[in-house]
Amino acid sequence: MISKLIELIEADCDQILLESYGLLKPIQNQHILITGGTGFIGTWIAELVSYLNKNYNFNTRLTLLARNADAILIKPTSLGRQKNIILKSKDVRNIIDLDSDINYIIHAAANPDNREHSTNPLRVIDTIVHGTSALLEKSTLLGGLNKILNISSGMVYGSQPHELNSIPETYIGKVDCSQINSIYAESKRMGETICAAYRTQHRLEIVNARPFAFIGPYQLIEKPWAINNFIRDSLMGGPIRILGNGDTVRSYMYGSEMAFWMLRILISGKSGHNYNVGSPHPISLKDLALKVSNNFSPLPAILSRNGAESDATHSKFIPNVDIAKKDLGLEIKIDVDDALRKTIEWNKLLV
Amino acid sequence: MKKKVLISDPTLRDGNHAVAHQLSAKQIESYSIAAEAAKIPIVEVGHGNGLGASSLQVGLAAISDREMLETARKHLVHSKLGIHVIPGFATINKDLKIAIEIGVDLVRVASHCTEADLTQRHISFAREKGKEVYGVLMMSHLASPELLVEEAQKMESYGAEAIIIMDSAGAYLPSDVTERIEALVNALSIPVGFHGHNNLGFAIGNSTAAIDAGATIIDATARGFGAGAGNTQLEVLVAVLDKLGFETGIDFYKLLDASDLAEKEIMKIVPTISSTSIVSGLSGVFSAFNKPVERISKLYGVDSRDVFFELGRRKIIAGQEDLIIEVASNLSKYPQKVK
Repeated sequence: MISKLIELIEADCDQILLESYGLLKPIQNQHILITGGTGFIGTWIAELVSYLNKNYNFNTRLTLLARNADAILIKPTSLGRQKNIILKSKDVRNIIDLDSDINYIIHAAANPDNREHSTNPLRVIDTIVHGTSALLEKSTLLGGLNKILNISSGMVYGSQPHELNSIPETYIGKVDCSQINSIYAESKRMGETICAAYRTQHRLEIVNARPFAFIGPYQLIEKPWAINNFIRDSLMGGPIRILGNGDTVRSYMYGSEMAFWMLRILISGKSGHNYNVGSPHPISLKDLALKVSNNFSPLPAILSRNGAESDATHSKFIPNVDIAKKDLGLEIKIDVDDALRKTIEWNKLLV
Repeated sequence: MKKKVLISDPTLRDGNHAVAHQLSAKQIESYSIAAEAAKIPIVEVGHGNGLGASSLQVGLAAISDREMLETARKHLVHSKLGIHVIPGFATINKDLKIAIEIGVDLVRVASHCTEADLTQRHISFAREKGKEVYGVLMMSHLASPELLVEEAQKMESYGAEAIIIMDSAGAYLPSDVTERIEALVNALSIPVGFHGHNNLGFAIGNSTAAIDAGATIIDATARGFGAGAGNTQLEVLVAVLDKLGFETGIDFYKLLDASDLAEKEIMKIVPTISSTSIVSGLSGVFSAFNKPVERISKLYGVDSRDVFFELGRRKIIAGQEDLIIEVASNLSKYPQKVK
């Protein structure tokens, strides 16, 4: 079963890299540190690099740093057993020193789970703010460091205004800093500001990625997001329960594609610039539930459970990715149907 | 088209408070059969304080959680079987897993109104098991509308599919309910509900105020069978809702039959608004404290009304029953100081 799961991931990597691996050559023979290295983003980037090593002789070394990096050993992946991958268990806030030969850093240490934001807001703030400061401070000592990719969040924009069809990087955003549901967004905004400070004071090369919504293997279906819940409900035989208004609009990017975009931004993104990462193709939760259900037989029923009609219930959250396209030639290759099919196939095997 | 209100009936759970948690399997069976026949959408079953709560401190139940739930499950086919879960009383491994194995449909995870953080693991676990999950904020009169919204948003983030606020002490006036439900409805994207108690005679009025303010789920029990002065009386509520033009999907005649049966077979005394209950409502003390307060006040030779008002001043909540002894003891020693 694990070998089949690994095959699926390799097929995903092959699909995304076949015609474009050459664009990633700058990381050949380089050492990359990924903080939050065992999370969804870190794991997918590691899978892509591992595939490049195996199939294109990239000889790229990876250090995956996480509070419990050994957790990757129980994931259905061979990442924990590869000679080019070092697992380092450490809280990013407590970093004492970094390997002196590190060439690139991807800073992905943060927990996007909004349950954690509600229950442990102080820890969320501390990890993002002090974790970013601690990492950048130690980075100033690295002689061979080329660039840092700070994984921020699309949440830094706050709610998407109705008049915008999608959110461009130039939108300054609007977050109510006094609300508890702004904890993650405000922390990520501060994280970007800390990056700006290190750019100017220490001349570090830092680029920000602002991720939106993703789907794919390694994203736990227990996470409290609509698409995960729809898949989990369906795997359990249904019904799919849509919480809130079914007209809520989101968009979803597949894991392998996200990882490719992140590496491209790391390599070719301009220091001081911000890049949205996500799918620009909107889909309502109602349509999403329908698409998920179509992957199962018998078809699970779809129930709606919404409160009162309000602005919050009609929200949309779609990135504008024109800059990624114009500056880096990035485009979506895996549509939501394919992303769902792949994710569901992987999760069915896992279950 | 008539607007719908979802009725959740905790007769076999809140009612357990009224009989010191002594509901028998036979009583649970007969009311479950009647509730199923009346098409009551949700029937909540268990110890008064919910799953895993049977204990010396809050009262030992006559039968185990398993027996209660299995008995009800056998007879509830179309009606959903609900449970009340207070983290601390109910643990995931020892209690919730078993309840889910037995086949409960709805898990209502409750906390004191300012402690929603405690519900994260239980809500998440029940959702992961594919169960329908509500978040319940108890003693909600002790929190401002703004604070209730914050706590409800936490529960929503954990995966709660509806939020119920409980007037556990029967302390609300309709305007209090309107203010809180409106705030919740405006801030949440999931349905909001109300659970009333009748200490000040407002259980029905508060429930309709909640509906007017946007609530779509209302708790009510047969004859108001529940803690203290009792809950919102189910058969009256359904009649009133019908008159107001709301649809509940309940068979009214069969509901009246179920209430008659409940009065005859499961209630020693039909709840009334006793003097103690009025004081409990006025002082904002949890309705289920009536019996221990009466008993302990008698033991220490103090006026139970004084005990209630002192407990209310201290904002005592369920689980702090031992404080009743402290208050009664202090009153007996230093009556003027405590007053």
